[in-house]
Amino acid sequence: MTHTIALTAPATWTPARVEAENTGERTLDQFLKGVERRALRMAELATNNRDEAQDLVQDAMFGFVRHYAAKPAADWAPLFYRVLDSRLNDWHRRRSVRSRWLQVWTRSDDEDDERDEIAQAPDSNDPGPLLRLAGSEAGQALNAALARLPLRQRQAFLLRVWEGFDVAATASTMRCSEGSVKTHLSRALAALRRQLEDHA
Amino acid sequence: MNKSELPEWTDQARSLLDESAQALDATTLSRLNRSRQAALAQRVPRRRAAWLLLPAGLVGACALLLAVGVWHARVPQTAPLASPSATVVSGSTVNVVDMDLIASGDDMDLIASGDDIEMMQDLDFYAWLDAQDQDDKG
Repeated sequence: MTHTIALTAPATWTPARVEAENTGERTLDQFLKGVERRALRMAELATNNRDEAQDLVQDAMFGFVRHYAAKPAADWAPLFYRVLDSRLNDWHRRRSVRSRWLQVWTRSDDEDDERDEIAQAPDSNDPGPLLRLAGSEAGQALNAALARLPLRQRQAFLLRVWEGFDVAATASTMRCSEGSVKTHLSRALAALRRQLEDHA
Repeated sequence: MNKSELPEWTDQARSLLDESAQALDATTLSRLNRSRQAALAQRVPRRRAAWLLLPAGLVGACALLLAVGVWHARVPQTAPLASPSATVVSGSTVNVVDMDLIASGDDMDLIASGDDIEMMQDLDFYAWLDAQDQDDKG
């Protein structure tokens, strides 16, 4: 009886399957290695604190591996950023509750809903605000401007511009409609442009 | 808005963001690496657990079989000796095998009956007495 079991069990873990598992883990490791830096920068822009950003990225990695590692590798990027986006939203929500009164003074960027988007539309002939800034100054200005954006606008900008997601993937990642993504992105571009021009 | 519809300056923004991601310090990268390894490690126990289930199950099954075998081997020998006093006192001879069987009998019955324990303590005396009777008759 024992012999029969011993012969039967390895059939579920053939060398091919073990190799496939190992390959899967290596692929997953490579994927996480490929996104971890950008994920950390995203979280850092959201929290303005590297330690908290690292905690959030770690949480996102754990959540992603636990829930989505078995999904096709082609779907990993949007799913990973969905988990990270969820963690950032949770962090932002907790932070908002904790510092509700303080936030009243720091939410000026959220008020851009009231602004005239047509008047803020960029001139296509303009080389752009970043070209007027040199080297590290441009990086610092961009960081500061991104840090001032509301969470959803910043996420829409980073996912569309940095990650290169299309509108549908961004909407799926942010769990909102494509129209919302377009609105968030449009506002983010206008706000960034304005802040960078002020900096130049 | 397609990627091509994004303003040109976003290309520069992308480059700057890439640079900032590449410029992370060694301590931060080390911690990211540890986080990644920890996240990946949580998958491993499931697979290893599947491997460990087989030998654990086999050991458990063997132990169960052994326990059942020992129990079955003991029960048929002890059952006829439910009344050891009858075997010893009424028998014409007392041999070593009988004594061993009695000794390996149901201890719980002996413990439950105080009289039986006293009788077992005087067993040598009864055996000697029986042997004397045999000699007298012989």
